[in-house]
Amino acid sequence: MPADVTTEYLLLATAIMFLVTFGLRSLVFLAFGGGRKPPQVILYIGGVISPAIIAALIVYCFRNTTLLSRPHGLPELLATATCVLLHLWKRNPLISIIVSTIVYMILVQRVF
Amino acid sequence: MHFTRRVVLASFRASVPVLLGYLAMGFAAGILLAKQSGAGALWAFATSVSSVSGALQFLLVDWFTHPTSLLTIALVTVSINLRYALYGLPLIERWKHLPWLLKAYMILTLTDETFALEVENKFPEGEDSLTYCFTIAALDHFYWVVGVVAGALAGHAVEFNAKGIDFAMTALFMVILLDQLQTRTNRAPALVGLGGALCGLAIFPQNMLIPSIVIILTLLLTLRSRLEVSHAR
Repeated sequence: MPADVTTEYLLLATAIMFLVTFGLRSLVFLAFGGGRKPPQVILYIGGVISPAIIAALIVYCFRNTTLLSRPHGLPELLATATCVLLHLWKRNPLISIIVSTIVYMILVQRVF
Repeated sequence: MHFTRRVVLASFRASVPVLLGYLAMGFAAGILLAKQSGAGALWAFATSVSSVSGALQFLLVDWFTHPTSLLTIALVTVSINLRYALYGLPLIERWKHLPWLLKAYMILTLTDETFALEVENKFPEGEDSLTYCFTIAALDHFYWVVGVVAGALAGHAVEFNAKGIDFAMTALFMVILLDQLQTRTNRAPALVGLGGALCGLAIFPQNMLIPSIVIILTLLLTLRSRLEVSHAR
């Protein structure tokens, strides 16, 4: 693991994110430009990976939540409830994200 | 390509929802980058212009704050952006005759939202479809970079308590998942992701992402026959 956040590290990190993301986006054009069909297993993983990874990232976002000591994850719980209920009601991503983030900021700054 | 007032206006009109979304989300990601990692607007520009990826723009804030192994960065980037690898499928034929540099730019800017608009392809009659799509791609790209850079500048210029603003990333993922869960076939894979990530977190609390991804991929491949049955339904 690198010892520090150096300019060199940031440059490498930026380059890797670019190369991987651009590489993924160009993959089908390179591999299947000639009309060949992608293998079934690739299509299958491509179809199911997105919800799986997004769910995993939500867990990742909550990895530092303290459940056993105060405030017992209450700010996270309340902000999550705000986000989910608002979204099920309005289905407007911007409103859900902005309102729940403001709720969370008020909770961690002023209440708990 | 053939730019007329009419086709550019049509592209702009189609991109207005993206304008609002990208400016707001980009702004939040930019503030987060400035407040949490201290990285300047130049890094906000470099990352947003080259990767053009919403989830990644938030995740990289962690990596720019706490040095992370480059292998983790690569693997996590692959798994959150793997869906992009399939986006080209409906576009291969249409883009077959584009000059390579232009094609590379269209590929670079292929986000969820831009992809949706390009597949929809509602160009005005008598105008050129590729001009319409290119203008949308360039506008969306521009909105995203402006949002992120403006957020980073604001984060450095304005003194305010940003504690808790990182919840925007959590909320973003929850909103994406809630929309995906409307499609029945996404529900089982989401459960697999949830279970796999909880296992990863339990075993490696400090470094959960790579183990979680390995567990999830293994589960998805093991459960393939059952998940595909539910797909066919």
